[in-house]
Amino acid sequence: MTIFLYLDRNTWIHRLDPRTKMIGVLVIFCICLCFNHPLHMAAISVGILLIAISGKALLNFWRLRFILFLLIAFSTVTWPFFAKGPTPLWSFGSLHVSQESLLYGIAMGLRLATFVGTGLIFLSTTRNEELTNGLIRMGCPYSIAFALSTALRLVPTFAGAGATIIQAQVSRGLDLQSGNIFSRVRKFIPQAVPLFIYAIRHTNLLAMALESKGFSPESKRTLYYEPCMRVIDYVVLGFLTAIFAILLFARVGLHLGVVIPGRL
Amino acid sequence: MATAISIEDLTFTYHGSRRAALRNIRGQIEEGTFVAVMGHGGAGKSTLCCSLNSLVPRFFRGEYQGRVLIKGEEAARRRVAEMSRHVGLVFQDFEAQLFSTNVELEMAFGPENHYLPREEIGRRIERYLRSTGLENLRNREPSSLSGGQKQRLAIGSVLTLEPKVLVMDEPTTDLDPLGRQEVLSVGKSIQEEGRVLLIVDHEPETAVTADQVWLMSNGQLVSKGAPSEILVDVVAMESCGVRTLPTVELFHSLNWPGTPFTVEAAVETIQKHHLAQRVEPKVKAAPSGHLRGFPVLKAEELKYIYPTHRVEALRGVDLNIYEGEFIAILGQNGSGKTTLAKHFNGLLKPNSGRILVQNKSTTEYTHQELARLVGYVFQNPDHQIFARTVADEVGFGLKMRGETPKMIGKRVAETLEVVGLQGYEQKVPFALTKGERQRVAVASVLAAQPRVIILDEPTTGLDYRHQRDMMEMLRRLNQIGHTIIIITHSMWVAAEYAVRTIVMKDGGILSDGPTRAVFGDEARLAEASLCPPSLVRLSNWLGTEALTVEQMVKELKTG
Repeated sequence: MTIFLYLDRNTWIHRLDPRTKMIGVLVIFCICLCFNHPLHMAAISVGILLIAISGKALLNFWRLRFILFLLIAFSTVTWPFFAKGPTPLWSFGSLHVSQESLLYGIAMGLRLATFVGTGLIFLSTTRNEELTNGLIRMGCPYSIAFALSTALRLVPTFAGAGATIIQAQVSRGLDLQSGNIFSRVRKFIPQAVPLFIYAIRHTNLLAMALESKGFSPESKRTLYYEPCMRVIDYVVLGFLTAIFAILLFARVGLHLGVVIPGRL
Repeated sequence: MATAISIEDLTFTYHGSRRAALRNIRGQIEEGTFVAVMGHGGAGKSTLCCSLNSLVPRFFRGEYQGRVLIKGEEAARRRVAEMSRHVGLVFQDFEAQLFSTNVELEMAFGPENHYLPREEIGRRIERYLRSTGLENLRNREPSSLSGGQKQRLAIGSVLTLEPKVLVMDEPTTDLDPLGRQEVLSVGKSIQEEGRVLLIVDHEPETAVTADQVWLMSNGQLVSKGAPSEILVDVVAMESCGVRTLPTVELFHSLNWPGTPFTVEAAVETIQKHHLAQRVEPKVKAAPSGHLRGFPVLKAEELKYIYPTHRVEALRGVDLNIYEGEFIAILGQNGSGKTTLAKHFNGLLKPNSGRILVQNKSTTEYTHQELARLVGYVFQNPDHQIFARTVADEVGFGLKMRGETPKMIGKRVAETLEVVGLQGYEQKVPFALTKGERQRVAVASVLAAQPRVIILDEPTTGLDYRHQRDMMEMLRRLNQIGHTIIIITHSMWVAAEYAVRTIVMKDGGILSDGPTRAVFGDEARLAEASLCPPSLVRLSNWLGTEALTVEQMVKELKTG
């Protein structure tokens, strides 16, 4: 069972410095916040999709297609009830949906999906160690950077152990298919207890292995994959910042791409 | 030669424990020697390993007396991280030791911690990729490697620190026979580089090539010396709960001269002293199928492909399993053993073909119905133990089925008696030993009184005494009518206990028949990279029917 997101390819995005990618993700998040019109938002989403294609990360988009689809569908359905617009479309009792609020809902759905998609490109093209090294070079203490990347790393391990535990319990009669919500909660205990114990044992062993390989968070260490800012990194950062500046001007100065003014 | 390790009267008691884990250990190890440490579970072998790189007492706290000197430096005064330059430690559980995203970075981790220059790290990675034979896998994700490769990587990742001492705590326990060979041959080449190699292992075959063998029991170093002194001492080996070399045991039982460690040596001795005559093996007709009644499990053209890997794990398996059989399924990892077994209790459903339990397809049963017919015991008992008492644990399946408390109590007591844990009802399962936890896991499956019981690696991680106990228990279950199927890497377990043996390779059945016949065809076994246990090899050479030492002694005395 593998749910690692990193895809070992050699594209220009993979070769970017992890710091560039981290800052780039933040700038793209800001870009996503510029417009709340679905058409403008869609243009940004397409841009991200193109980046995903050139980073050969589409496989992960396909794997998580249900989550992405759910995000769009969920916010398209729920946002219209909260945002208020001038042109009424449909109303029932105290519930009102306007044409603008529906469009706003679609835009929010796209925005959320684009956020997730951007994160997905980052994780598909950046090794765990690169993330750690990038964080260290940006001034993050090693112990915190290491804890973060180890946590990311352990998710698939524990997911695999969880799957085995469920199989072991099912084969001695645990019935997961029937029962109401309360009996299901009770059935959760035979799965959770062994997983907790597994997790404690595993992390304890990991700690022993780390120390035995000379791990000590206080002392200086070499970074074997030394991150290195090259011309392309500055070009990418400059380009993204420029786009952000232009879009910000379009929104604030020219009032473009707005369905409901006054909202992000 | 200079002394590399010197242990001076070491006694250690873990915090919160009353019994000393190590008692008055004294020993010296010269540079460039290979030491094999053996002993029963809980004898203090792991504690000894951990004391060499100061995990004991720095990581595991407790009462520490005596000294451990590594190259004249006192280990306990150093931090574990500092000791990593001198002592490399490899653990049994290779999954927990590997955490990087590729092979190269895994090997770089140690030297990175020691702030070595990048060029030097690069040089060391190249060197130890070569000595562990992983050159072509440098960019692979560690989780995608085979067991043997993972353990070799774990070794490589401590070697890049260039320690003078390499300690391996049961490095081959979780591996298939091929992985075992890989790891041991890497160990050999490390010793040739002039390092000290200390291996803890249950198999006496490993100790044959050692310079020194240490026998441990209850925290004490019972005896130490050259293999030619220790391995021949059948009594001492047995009292420490260690399996003896079958060839030595045989010669000992027959009062034959000499103590051959290997089959080749045994053959030579027999020929030299004309101890026994080779005979042509008797050709026995295989018992025909229809005499054995109705198959309880039947696989027809069974095919299965794992959705995530897209490789064919089973490619058209046909198999009949009859009531009351005792079967061992052998094969390397990835040969499809577990995939096949998981079909028998419906954990996996075939992509094509059918699997019949009592003449009805598994797709027509619910999981609960199947759990009553076919029990499946997973390799690691800790994957299922969750309850506060042994009684709750064993009665879990019955409770899920809605049986009355009285009935559950009765059945639990019966089942615990069968597995040899009578009176354990109110004990806390987590506090039991590994062997006992394994029995609780078997009992919890057995409580449903399934007709067939499948066990995945029932002896892995147990010491020799517990392995014997477990297998004797399975034999008793078989005698009272249960059909037993074990998946195992242990050749002697299969040879001594299974009546029928199935060898799998690449998702198909390579050979299937009475255990004696399957082990008689060494060439066929070699195709699956397996090798019969040494006694059976000798038996093959002599042309005897024997699969165990006792049988051979009997056969040679009467014949």
